[in-house]
Amino acid sequence: MRGREVLGAYVAGDTLAHRLDARVKIVLLILATVAVFAADAPWGLLLAAAGLVAALVASRTSPTLVVRGLRPAALILAFSVLANAVVLVGQPGLSLDGLSRSALAVARIALLVGFALTLSSTTMPTEVATALSWLMAPLSRVGVPVGGISTATSIALRFIPITATELERIRAAQRARGARQDGGALEVLAGWRRVLVPLVVALFRRADDLAEAMADRCYTGEQTSMARPLRPVDWVALALGLAWVLAAALL
Amino acid sequence: MVELRDVSFSYDGEKDVTDRVSLSLRGGEHLVLLGKNGSGKSTVARMFNGRLRPRSGRVLLDGADVTAAPRPVLSRATGYVRQDPLSQVVSDLCRDEVAFGPRNLGLSPHEVRERVREALEACGIAELAPRLTGELSGGQQQLLALAGVLAMRPAHLVLDEADSHLDQATRTRLRGVVRALVARGVAVLEIAHSGEALVDATRVAVLEGGALLWEGPPEAFLRDDRALEASGLAEDLIAAAFARAVRDGIDLARAASPEGLAPYAGSRVPRRAADGDAHTLRARGVELSYGDRAALRGAELASRGLTLLLGASGSGKTTLARVLSGVLDPDAGTATLDGTAVRPGMVGLSFQRPEDQLFCETVIDDVAFGPRAAGAGEERALAAARDALARLGLGEELLERSPFSLSGGQMRRAALAGVLALRPGAYVFDEPTAGLDAPGRAGLVRFVRGLADEGAAVVVITHDAGEWLDAADEVAFLGNGRVLGTVPAAMARRDPALFEAAGLEPPLLVRAACAGSPAVPSGGRAHARS
Repeated sequence: MRGREVLGAYVAGDTLAHRLDARVKIVLLILATVAVFAADAPWGLLLAAAGLVAALVASRTSPTLVVRGLRPAALILAFSVLANAVVLVGQPGLSLDGLSRSALAVARIALLVGFALTLSSTTMPTEVATALSWLMAPLSRVGVPVGGISTATSIALRFIPITATELERIRAAQRARGARQDGGALEVLAGWRRVLVPLVVALFRRADDLAEAMADRCYTGEQTSMARPLRPVDWVALALGLAWVLAAALL
Repeated sequence: MVELRDVSFSYDGEKDVTDRVSLSLRGGEHLVLLGKNGSGKSTVARMFNGRLRPRSGRVLLDGADVTAAPRPVLSRATGYVRQDPLSQVVSDLCRDEVAFGPRNLGLSPHEVRERVREALEACGIAELAPRLTGELSGGQQQLLALAGVLAMRPAHLVLDEADSHLDQATRTRLRGVVRALVARGVAVLEIAHSGEALVDATRVAVLEGGALLWEGPPEAFLRDDRALEASGLAEDLIAAAFARAVRDGIDLARAASPEGLAPYAGSRVPRRAADGDAHTLRARGVELSYGDRAALRGAELASRGLTLLLGASGSGKTTLARVLSGVLDPDAGTATLDGTAVRPGMVGLSFQRPEDQLFCETVIDDVAFGPRAAGAGEERALAAARDALARLGLGEELLERSPFSLSGGQMRRAALAGVLALRPGAYVFDEPTAGLDAPGRAGLVRFVRGLADEGAAVVVITHDAGEWLDAADEVAFLGNGRVLGTVPAAMARRDPALFEAAGLEPPLLVRAACAGSPAVPSGGRAHARS
């Protein structure tokens, strides 16, 4: 398993987008979603697109990342554009109206993917988890264990690369003993079963150890909140974001 | 102070794993708890921090009976650091990781930040604060785990084999941090499997079969054959050298210096060269990158007999091991066994944790898996499996059991049997002795040496060079994706400069042997060979 840059993974850096408070970034993403879908073509949508350009510049993210982000859905998107353009009833042919309508829909999706990728590549998973739990805090009044959910989320995120390493080691050990992971569907299935048994055993053991280590450090679910007050730059970003949404929606 | 008085504990309610143990831990002392695997050390240590409650007997914290007190009362007073940092680190940002404990204590955000800064500084890793935990080396993660515990300012600290997965340099750093804590009045209980721990000990306690067998100062321990034997350290090279020195009337602090230990650091087994029909495992110009990070840049290695592969964290050891065993294809270069390109199954590959290698429903099926996959007939596969199991001393009664129901030691032997059953011409062992007690390590070293004596080419990756040098034929030093040099083990045994050139801290026994030998060969010249 060669390490490749995972799409949407956090990229360490020190840009304006990295420094913004994660709570602000999440709110901005929600605002951007509204802007992208409420904006009318062409001027509203262009303003929304200008927002994405600003976000990409502020995070020094390459536009090619957005293109890569769209790649998995490219086939479906292309098909939907075509399906909208082809008219089969009445006078069969190509409908320019349908084409432009669906092209706009695709443009909206592309913008949204861009915003989401900007957030995920400039914000660490734990920051997202902490910010979400802060935003969900009012729910704790109705009995939702917000602190527990936030800790569980951040541990789950932390364990993704650890699980990948463990999986790789188990496969290496098995390959060295002549186990094959290719061949027919049945063999592939048997190969995965062989890998999953020790992986699950190892993960359960790790989960046990980790729970014990957390209890050793007095974890009960209640933790001091380390949320800092928002800084001026965060407020400015929020205000600009709000103004941008309103402008995009009203244009 | 925490005191255990006549405590017994049982996991199943029937059989006691500790038997009326009385042991106290006072501020400013460094108590080293010794005993073989299964002697009840971790069980005792967990009663000190409230993780386990005794079935009978009492636990006192500063004189007050806390036997039935809520868990956090003792957990807060006694910090606990374990072997594997991956099982302790919760957060993905270092700063958050250290804040985890103080936040659980409900301290104010300001106080939490203060504690984080203080704990990171105490462990000498202040610069790691903004880093991601996943990017750290194993050693850095363990220092981080210690910082996470220290941030809670515990009055007592348990180190449960906390240094057993660390390289020499990190072990030295960890020892320095712990010495400073003890000097400040923190009580330290260290569970150890190696003689190194004795150097800083103020007191030693030995458990045998769940009962406290011996207690006293470290020098007296080293003079007591019965205690040394029960602790398992009789088979530890450093402890044995210390014991010889102390019996000669040298005090332990002096014996722990290279000059003091020099007369006692002799190697045990003279090595014979591998025979003419020995196999050769070779890497030629191996290059391999993960994304744009180069792990190997033209590594050259020729292994005959037993070769130790040493290198600092991130030097490419594990990657080279996988290339040599044919499970990872290099971008350039070749891995060959006796001139034939290595394919998976030709070279036995074994990791530190046996759980990573076992996967079938029964022990016999698991061990027979390799021969079956290689196309041996059913009868021959089973015969090979039985041979391998017998050689590792696993009895007939275990063959139909699930490998995951075995004890740790049995599981390890079953995993080795699975590799052995293929009868490969070469083996690669990745950290085989990490986390084992001294008799377990000595047994494994003998087993691996036996494979080399039979003609197999064996490559051992280890951070515990001192343990393996006596058994090795050659030592290869890896740095920055290249083999810096390969030297006869007899030379590496006396030349600290070779280790330093590879960014490693030389083992104590090597420094002692160097201090004891008049003419020291130059590391620079030896490295010129590759």
